[in-house]
This record gives sequence, structure tokens and C-alpha cells, in this order.
Amino acid sequence: MIGKYIWNSFKRGCIQLVRRPMYFLLMVILPILCCWFLMDLIKDGSVQRVPVGIVDLDNSSLSRQISRNLNGFQQVNIRHRYNNFAEARDAVQRGEVLGFFLIPESLEEDALGGRQPVVSYYVNYAYYAPASMQYKGFKTISLLVNGGIVQAALRTVGLRNETIESALVPYQTHIHMPGNPFINYNYYLNGTFVPCFFSLFILLVTAFSLGIELKSGLSRQWLRTAGDSMFLALVGKLVPQTVLFTAVGWFIQWIMYRCYDFPLNCNPWNMLVAMFLLVVANQSFALLMYCFVPNFRYGTMLCTLLGMLSFSFTGFSLPQESMYPWVEALGFSVPVKYYFLIMVDQALNGIDLYYSRYYYAALIGFTILPMLMSWHLKKECMNPVYVP
Amino acid sequence: MWFIQVLKVCGRELLLVFRDEGVVIFFLLLNAVYPVFYALIYNPEVVRDERVVVVDDNRTAMSRDFTRRLDATQEVAIVGYAANMQEAQEAMHRKACYGIVYFPRDFAQCVGRGEQAHVSLYCDMSVMMRYKAMFTALSNVSQAMGNERLAAVVEPVVSMSGSIVDNRQVPVGNPAMGIASAVLLFILPLVLQQSMVLGIAMLHGGSIERRRRNGGRDPMAVEASPGATVIGKMMCHQIIYVLPVIYVLHYVPLMFGFPQYGNLLHIICLAVPFVIAVSFMGQTLSAVVNERESVFLLFVFSSVVFVFLTGVSWPRYLMSRLWRVVGDCVPGTWMVNGYVLMQTNGSTLYQVQHPYWMLWIQVPVMFILAYLVERYVNRRRYRSWIAASEDNPRILTRIDLAKNGVG
Repeated sequence: MIGKYIWNSFKRGCIQLVRRPMYFLLMVILPILCCWFLMDLIKDGSVQRVPVGIVDLDNSSLSRQISRNLNGFQQVNIRHRYNNFAEARDAVQRGEVLGFFLIPESLEEDALGGRQPVVSYYVNYAYYAPASMQYKGFKTISLLVNGGIVQAALRTVGLRNETIESALVPYQTHIHMPGNPFINYNYYLNGTFVPCFFSLFILLVTAFSLGIELKSGLSRQWLRTAGDSMFLALVGKLVPQTVLFTAVGWFIQWIMYRCYDFPLNCNPWNMLVAMFLLVVANQSFALLMYCFVPNFRYGTMLCTLLGMLSFSFTGFSLPQESMYPWVEALGFSVPVKYYFLIMVDQALNGIDLYYSRYYYAALIGFTILPMLMSWHLKKECMNPVYVP
Repeated sequence: MWFIQVLKVCGRELLLVFRDEGVVIFFLLLNAVYPVFYALIYNPEVVRDERVVVVDDNRTAMSRDFTRRLDATQEVAIVGYAANMQEAQEAMHRKACYGIVYFPRDFAQCVGRGEQAHVSLYCDMSVMMRYKAMFTALSNVSQAMGNERLAAVVEPVVSMSGSIVDNRQVPVGNPAMGIASAVLLFILPLVLQQSMVLGIAMLHGGSIERRRRNGGRDPMAVEASPGATVIGKMMCHQIIYVLPVIYVLHYVPLMFGFPQYGNLLHIICLAVPFVIAVSFMGQTLSAVVNERESVFLLFVFSSVVFVFLTGVSWPRYLMSRLWRVVGDCVPGTWMVNGYVLMQTNGSTLYQVQHPYWMLWIQVPVMFILAYLVERYVNRRRYRSWIAASEDNPRILTRIDLAKNGVG
């Protein structure tokens, strides 16, 4: 008997998926297309050759040497030479260049006379990633200029080369970046944004496929095919989607870890299981929203809002410990946060599975939660009311 | 006569908007609440006191001085000493800290011998801003201490205090160098664009549903030529969006103290072609909508794509030609780039004339697209529905049921 109900609701779920081409579009084509979009956009990996300008008010051999050396840096690309500050500022305001390097009048004279001239660099921080790169390039060239002059000065008074070197940079710093040693922006951004994007699709599709039953007034018939069991009805509806989403999710992981060589320092199964759990947890999350708000519009809106905001409050760009506590707490309310933490622990840092145990548990917890609330949805399904 | 049709369409569209709660939510509530919420998430702007653990194998006054100075920076807080690297790693795995600073056994001795001393930083790479904060703090401290050391070494031989040529960074546009000021200004115009597209598509979905119930006819539609319909709707959207444009583009940055060097009048001038182009774009895109609620599925995800196309996290000059061209076709891209320059660097409309003209070029292009879609896709579809329901009045409902898995 139960077997018949399971089979019937399963069949109904599959038929629904096949009859609307939109499902295929949203479950297979768009997630893969969007994943490819993000990967292809950032495939270069690091921001380089930022368009900048230079204002050389000195026009001495030293200042020309500075601008020649600066152009040799990979961080910046000198697009224009401006005659004065006003011209350079105008170019920044027009968006032609993202910053400029200003060499003051009589730089060489003042430097040799010991009057401590100042070179300055104007960096437009409205464009965040290029600004950091510009800063690196400009800062390095300024230090090199200073170092070159100091070195020459010390050599003339007879200090040894080794002494000069250690006097110039007494403290050598080494930065170790485990997991992403080349600061590849693609690994960093898409390791998090692609799963988040994928969860948005899962939330939307689940919310829509549940809501459409309430809207069309067919929810009672839906329950009847499953023998009036909410659980069987949901299983029949959601399991075909789980299978499809998991397959697409694994395909996306294959693109990430095999085609684009994202860091994968753990047993691949850890991530494959995490992806499956992410799919199920997101479906359950959408289901939970419907249990709270059994209304097509508000249920879908809630899922959309949380799905969109999870790009921000899960702490991909501003780290969680720097956020307001209530935003940080909100971050833990969506499944993709736990996937992100698993990804960091397992794929990026490759540490013991033991440290990620709570994150896996949380994803499983998301799956259990709506079962406790499904009576509310059932009540609504027996008397569906559509509010346009 | 044609103009009266336009006004009629505009009036009816206004009526439909305010009768439809879902559309009011998109057009007004979303614009009122979403930017504020978004701004609150990023409002802390910068990373402060990132947790770092020290492994000090040297244990001298110099290594302790280095640690103290590191602790005193805005970016980093030393949360403790670990006996060895294993213990520090364990702390990092437990997320008790996000970075480790390591002083080797001969740290101070190297400096004393006149050799280079080494100090290492191991940092968690999951979030770039953490890395940047720790990196900045460490290089600032080592440079400051290095300059003192240099002065001490060379003072007896030449008179100079550390550096000969000083350098100075002047952050422009976003003097706080915060992430909220950098990201939010890109997001704000896109919120306007996406809310308008969603609302327009939802209105269209409502009209389609009415047509399906009434044998292909929409009792709420006004008889008008395709051109008059498209322009009349655009006028309605333009009227409704006066308030959201001013609120989102002017008052939200004001509330959170984001850079606001732009002249309000110039910003509004830039927004006029933007709103017109987006309205036409929304009318073009809404042809794919068959139900009110499918707008969530079909358009919400595009927000993320459009945000990336504006160049907020990956600059536009580095994009491949394909993505740059795709970005060029979206009104939001030009609006964002003009608006950001205005608000952060105080550019005038004259200085952002390139984005401004591109927006005006998009207006006729988008109009032609919307017109073609209205005339050759929508109207043709309605006619075929009317013809089909004349043969069989229940055909449209039956198709609907079949889609939901019945029959």
C-alpha cells in the first residue's frame, strides 16, 4: 500500500519536472551557465596592470627613472603622463585612470640635499581590488627609490654591502598563504560564490514547486496521491529534484576542482558529501520557510531574500568576526554558511574531518527541522488559499 | 489621439500597480528596505583586531617589542602565545585565531650581528580581507622598526633620520578605505534596476494569468497600439520611480555616511535615461514570464550576474571582450559606473558624459526591442489564445492543469 503511494507521488513529482521546461532551465542549464560565467570572468586569477597615471613635476633623471621602473611593475600600467595635478585629478574623475603617482618639484635636488622630499600616490578606493594592487605597486617603488639613494649614500661613506643590506631591511617578513599561495582571486571568490549561487537556485526552485501546488489549488489532490501523508507527498515531490540537483552540483564541483584546479586538499568524498548535504539542506530550508509562511508569494519572497543576502551576511568578503553580532548570527541561519566553512576546512586548508564535525551536523540538522513543522504546511494544503 | 492612448495606458498601469500588493512590494518596499539592510551588513567597513597567535622561539626584548607593536595596530590583536607551531596550528583549526606569527630562535641575535632577521606570518586564506589586514599590520610594524634600526646604524656616519625620500598614500574617493563605501555604491543603482524589472515582469505575469482565465482577453488592458502601450507603461514607471531614485541614490548614502560628493541634480539627470531604458528592458524581458511568481525564478539570479558585470569585484578592464560587451548592453553597468564616479570623486555630469551618452543610446535600442516584442510576440500570442478558446473554451485551463502534473 505504502509502496503504491510512494510510487504515485514520485511519478507526479517527475511529471511536473518534465512538463515545465522552466525547471530544466533553472535546475540544469542556468546553474551551469552561471558557474561558467563566474569562472570565465575571473579566470586570470589576480588583478594586474591597473590603469594609472603619473605626474612628473621634477623631470630630472631620477624622476624619469622612477616612472620607467614603475611601468615595469606588473601591478600597474601607466596609461598617461599628466602635466599637473589638476589634469590627473580630472582623469580620475572621468574614470580614465584609477589613480596616479605624483613626483614633486625638485625631488632629486631635495633628496640629495637631505631635505626629505615626499612622493605621494593618489589611489581611488572606490574600486576596491584594483586599489589594493595599485597601493602595492606604488608603495614598493617608493621604498625602492628611497633604498637606492640610501644605499648610494652609505656606500660613499664606506659601509660594507652586507651591512647596508641588513641596515635597509633589518626585518625580513615572510607571508605564508596555505591553500592559495598565489592569492588567486578565482579560487577565493568562486570557491564561495558558486555554491552560494547554486543554493539560490535550489531555494527558488523548491519554493516555486511547493507554492505552485497551493496556487493552483491542487494541493489536496497532491496529498491524496500520497495517501494523505505529508511526508510521502514531500518525498515524492522533492526527491527527483534532489537527484537532479546533486548531479548538477557534483558536475559543478568537477568543473571547479578538475577543470579550474581549485585547491582540494582533502579526500574528494568530503566535498561530494558536503555538496549532497547542501542540496538537501537548502531544499529543507525552503520547505521550512513554507511551513512558517504557507503562502506562495511570501514564502518565495523569503527564500529569495535570504538566498540573495546570503552572498553578503555569510562572510565571504567581510569576515564574520568583523560584522555586527546580529548579522554574524544571521549568517549561521542559512545552509550555505556551513558548506563554506566545510570548504575552508577541508578543501582549502585540508585539516582533520574532526574540526568540521559541527558543520556537517548542522547541514543534517537543517534536513530534520522541517519534519517537525510539516503539520502546519499540511493544514494549509488541505485548505489552499491563493493570495495574488 | 495617439497621445491620449498613451495617457490611458499610463493611468491604467498606475492603477494596476497600486492594486497589486506584490508589485508595490517590489517598486516601493524593496527599494526602501533592501539597501538599508545591505548597508548594515557591510557597515563595519574594515577589519579590526583580527585574532593572531604568536609563537616566539626567541623570547627577547626585541621579539616582545615587535609583538606589542603588532598588538597595538588597528588591524591585529594578539590573543595569546603558543608554545610551538603545533599548538598554534591547533588553535587555528579551532578558529581561535586566523593567523600565526613566528619568531625563529635567532631573531634578535641576527639583528645584533648586523644580519637580516626573519619573521613569518601564516594566515588563513578563506577571506581576503583577513589576509589583507594581517599583511598590512605586519609590514607596517616591520617597516617602522626597520626605520628606527636604520637610523641607529647610520646616524654615526651620515646625518639622516631613517628615510631620504618619504612616501605618502592619499586614498581618494573612499577615504575610509572601507568595503561598505566601495561595494554599496555599486549595488544601489542595481537595486533600482532589478526591483523595476521584477515589478514590471510581475505585472505582465498578472496580465497573462487574467488572459488565461478569460479566453485570451485581459479585461484590465486598454486598447492601444503597441507603441502607445510600451511608452505609456514607461511613463508610469518613470512617475513611480521619482521617489525611489532620490531615496536610494541620495538618502541611503547620507544615512550611512558613504561618499556623497555627487551633485544631486547631476545624479538625477543621469538617472532619467537609466529609468527609461530599464523600463523598456523590463518590458522586453517580461515576455518570458507566464505566471506572476515565475519572476522570482527567472530574474532574481540575474542580479548577481549584473552585479559582477558592473565590475565591482573584478574590474571591467580585465574582463574578456565577451563579458565586456554583455555588460555594455545592460543599463545598470553604465549607471553604476557614472554614479560611482560622481559620488566618490565628485565628477560632474560633463565628466561622466561617456556613460551618460551610452544610457541615451540604450533608450531607443531598448524601445525598439520592447516594441518588437509587444507587437510580434505578445500580441501574436494573445490572438492565438483567443482563436484557440473560441474553438474550445476550456483549453487554456487544461494546459495549466497539465503543467501541474494532472491529467
